[in-house]
Amino acid sequence: MIEGAANSLGKIAGISPATGASQSTGAAPGSSFADILKNSINEVSKLQQDATQAANAVATGQTENVTGVMSAVEKADLAFKTLLAIRSKLMDAYEEIKQISI
Amino acid sequence: MFEILDMGASALTAQRIRMDTIAGNIANINTLRDASGKPNPYRRRFVVFAPGQAGNESQPGVHVKSIQLDQSPLPKRYDPGNPDADKDGYVSYPNVDLSIEFVNALEASRAYEANVTMMDTAKSMFNSSLRLLG
Amino acid sequence: MYLDRLFNQGSVPVLEQFAQFTDARANLLGEDIANVSTPNFIQKDFSLEQFQQVLRQKVQQENSGAPGGVQFDDISMDIQNPRNGILFHDGNNRSMEQLMSDQAKNALMHNLAIELLKNQYSQLETAIREGK
Repeated sequence: MIEGAANSLGKIAGISPATGASQSTGAAPGSSFADILKNSINEVSKLQQDATQAANAVATGQTENVTGVMSAVEKADLAFKTLLAIRSKLMDAYEEIKQISI
Repeated sequence: MFEILDMGASALTAQRIRMDTIAGNIANINTLRDASGKPNPYRRRFVVFAPGQAGNESQPGVHVKSIQLDQSPLPKRYDPGNPDADKDGYVSYPNVDLSIEFVNALEASRAYEANVTMMDTAKSMFNSSLRLLG
Repeated sequence: MYLDRLFNQGSVPVLEQFAQFTDARANLLGEDIANVSTPNFIQKDFSLEQFQQVLRQKVQQENSGAPGGVQFDDISMDIQNPRNGILFHDGNNRSMEQLMSDQAKNALMHNLAIELLKNQYSQLETAIREGK
C-alpha cells in the first residue's frame, strides 16, 4: 500500500520541478521537494511499523505500557492522514496545471 | 498486564479473611469448651498481614501470612457453681472484647471499600486511554 | 489472495486472535461466576500466559520470514483448572475477588484489542477512500 502511494507521489514530484513554478520561491537550499516528500513517506512507513510492533507487543504481553502503544498508533494514523492530505493537494494542483491552456 | 488489579484482588482477599476471623471471634465470645467437649476456653484469633501476593512474594500486594492466637491472659470470673470452675471457683472466659472486634470489623470493611474504589479508578483510567484513538 | 493479504496487514491477525481469546475466556469466567455456590464445581480458565507465549512465537516467525507466511488462526487452547486458592467445604475452590478481578482484566484487554483493530480498519478505509 505504501509502495504504490510512494510511486505515484514520486512521479508527481518528478513533474513539478520540470515546470519550475515552485522551485525558486522558499525551497530550502540543497534539497528538492521530491526529496522532502520521499523522506516523509519513509517516516510514515517507519511510524506505521513502530505502531504494528507496539500493538503486537501489547497483545503478546511483552509490554505493559498501554498509553505508549496508544500514542504510537495514533501518531502513525495522523502521519498517514497528513501524507494523504498532501497527496490530495498535489493531485488538485496537477489537475489545475493540466487545465492551463496555452 | 494489569498488575494493579491483581494487587487490588489480593488486598480484597486479605481483608475478607480478616473479616472472617473477626466474625469467628464474635461468634465464639462465650465458648468455654472446644470441639471435643473438653473445657478449653476460646482464644481470640488475629491475622498477620505480609507484603507480596500469596503465590509469589515478589509481586506487589498483600497476603495473610498466618492466623495466630492472642496470648493475652483470659479474663476470670468468680462463679463457684459453674461446672467449668477451677479449684478456686473461677471460670476462664474467652479474651474477646466486643468493642475491639467491632472497630476492627469497621476498619476491614473500609479497607475493602477503599480497594474496590482503587480498582474502579484504575479501570476508568485505562478506559480513558482507550479513547486516545479517535 | 491479494485482497486477503491487504486486509491482514500490520497487527490485524494478532489482534484478531487476541480478541477471540478474550471473548472465549469471558464465557468461561462467566460460567465460573454463575457456579460460585455450586458444590463440587471445579473452576475453569484459559491460561493467558500460555496463549501469549504461542502468539509471541508466531509473531517471531512472521517477523523473520516473508510477510503473510504464518497462519494465525490455528491456535487452540485447552481448558485448565487452576487449583490455587482455598478449597471450601462444598468442594468448590472459588475466590470471588479473584474471579471479579480476572473478569475485569479480561474485559479491559478485550476493549483494548477491539479499539486497536478498529483503528487499523479505519486506516485502510481512509486509504481506499483516498481521504475524501
